[in-house]
Amino acid sequence: MNNKNKNKILSIEGLSTHFFTDDGVARAVQDVSFSIKKGKTFALVGESGCGKSVTALSIMGLIPAPQGKIVSGKVVFNDCDLLGFTEKQMRKIRGNKIAMIFQEPMTSLNPVYTVGNQIAEAIKLHQKKNAYQAWKEAIKMLQRVGISQPEQRVNEYPHQLSGGMCQRVMIAMAVSCKPTLLIADEPTTALDVTIQAQILDLLDELQQENQMSILLITHDLGVVAERADDVAVMYASRIVEIASSQELFENPLHPYTQGLLKSLPQLGLGRKMKRLSTIQGNVPDPLHFPTGCKFHPRCSIGCNDKRCREIEPELIEVEAGRFAACWYAPGYEKAEVK
Amino acid sequence: MSEQQIISKTLPLPKGRSLWQDGLRRLGRRRFAMACFVVIVLYFLLAGFIYLAELFDWQVAPIRWSQEVGSQYESPSGENLFGTDIFGQSVLRKTLYGTKTSMTVAMFASFISIAIGVPLGAIAGYFRGFIDEVIVWLYSTLSSIPYILLILAFAVVLRDKTFFGYKLAGITTVYLAIGLTSWVGICRLIRGEVIKHKNREYILAAKSYGCSAKRIIFKHLLPNVFHLIIIDFSLRFVGFIHAEVILSFLGLGETTRPSWGAMINDARIELARGVWWQMATATFAIFFISLALNIFGDALRDSLDPKLRTQ
Repeated sequence: MNNKNKNKILSIEGLSTHFFTDDGVARAVQDVSFSIKKGKTFALVGESGCGKSVTALSIMGLIPAPQGKIVSGKVVFNDCDLLGFTEKQMRKIRGNKIAMIFQEPMTSLNPVYTVGNQIAEAIKLHQKKNAYQAWKEAIKMLQRVGISQPEQRVNEYPHQLSGGMCQRVMIAMAVSCKPTLLIADEPTTALDVTIQAQILDLLDELQQENQMSILLITHDLGVVAERADDVAVMYASRIVEIASSQELFENPLHPYTQGLLKSLPQLGLGRKMKRLSTIQGNVPDPLHFPTGCKFHPRCSIGCNDKRCREIEPELIEVEAGRFAACWYAPGYEKAEVK
Repeated sequence: MSEQQIISKTLPLPKGRSLWQDGLRRLGRRRFAMACFVVIVLYFLLAGFIYLAELFDWQVAPIRWSQEVGSQYESPSGENLFGTDIFGQSVLRKTLYGTKTSMTVAMFASFISIAIGVPLGAIAGYFRGFIDEVIVWLYSTLSSIPYILLILAFAVVLRDKTFFGYKLAGITTVYLAIGLTSWVGICRLIRGEVIKHKNREYILAAKSYGCSAKRIIFKHLLPNVFHLIIIDFSLRFVGFIHAEVILSFLGLGETTRPSWGAMINDARIELARGVWWQMATATFAIFFISLALNIFGDALRDSLDPKLRTQ
């Protein structure tokens, strides 16, 4: 166990985050468990509103209070449970040990400060550096993330930069303190495809350099296949499957993952090209989740099964390193009996 | 020479311009607004000059307002441009001196109301919950009392009181009374704006790299709503000048030295005798600064908050 923990940078155990709204309790994240290995990229995939970002914010301790609340679970980072940390302790972690980049680079930078000011602020918050050293460091970071003419760009305001450049600035801010974990919340969703590849390449390089782990939150399976070491698929607030990315694409166990992979357009089929298959139905509303397995109304196997309708399957390790939450996943029942 | 160096040699980037600089450039292009700005600056310079003259005892004309320059109620002439009052004092000198009174009161009242309203509004908007409720309750209660009555009550209570060995007299009472009662508007404005901004992604990003609540409020939120403070200041300034005039008119303001309100108050008796010049001069002095501040304030809002125009 101890050995196992050694190469894990972050492990989440049974995390549940709920939002207490006027219309009822929205269970945004329920009983989520996974762990991220040192220096590896862990992807969290799922459609909009399934709880990916809330999971990330729960790790950072940035769930909007007072509506949002982490009701149970553990977030173990470097052998410490972050949920037990005070706000002051968390501030030392944020940006320093765990950094985050966001979906909308244009709006993630404060419009009244120059990019240099913002990077320098992040540096000054966590490192003992004076304004001049922090400024020099900011220029160095800009250079590192591939922005040309950094000495001049450092004086520019966010509205003068393109989306891709803003994201580079965000990355520069995030990695300026050499964090051990970088949470990238859909870092390329707002960018066009060529810039996407550049940004992901940049993240790869920085990961190599700093031995940094990345939690990559995305809904782009193409990105996952290329960049991730391990993948967790999330559906309606729960993780339905965890596997290494190679295994997941070769042999998906959960019907939802299977559906997702089938609905990817495939190139090179020529005449055999058919209509894209889709997953029928809609994502359930987090205020009114279906009973039993949350995927059963849309599942071709589960929709007629009483067990799927009534009992929610837990996430269980069905093979070494492979987790699934489906009654029909091969090896599921055997593992459950154990 | 590497490619990088060649690029930076051939294409110098234009220097970065902040949203502020952009706004001020837009403002600079508005001729009429700039003319109004000049008028405002002249008023301020005059007030400042009189203040200095009083401080260093320079015997310039407005300082010698109490001097008798002619007989009682002399009508405007070449010698006494705006005539004289009941004591034969020059109306022109009194009006000029009144500028200092009004500007001082409006200035200090603005600072007091901003110093109270802005932090309270920002704190209420940022933290919400219980703190917000307390602050909202406080300003709702305060604003439910008729404004003039409230100022009067404050002015009467503060009058001739001693605080920390400093006797509150004359205009000190006036600006304290106005400042302490008029922070509600700016507080509401800032609270609303902070609520709007605090859910923006850049605030989340600031939190994600470890900023404290204090830092987020004062370093990230306030600079983003600061233009509103300036706009509000320019528009509210007029209100404060008027408030001073009203208080002086009611006899609660400056009583020993000239002020525009006191001059209008004097004119009540004079008008029956057909002496209109004291009233007219003071009124025009108020009129010009009000007009200039209003036009300039509007232009300032259009320039610094360009989104507002299209809405």
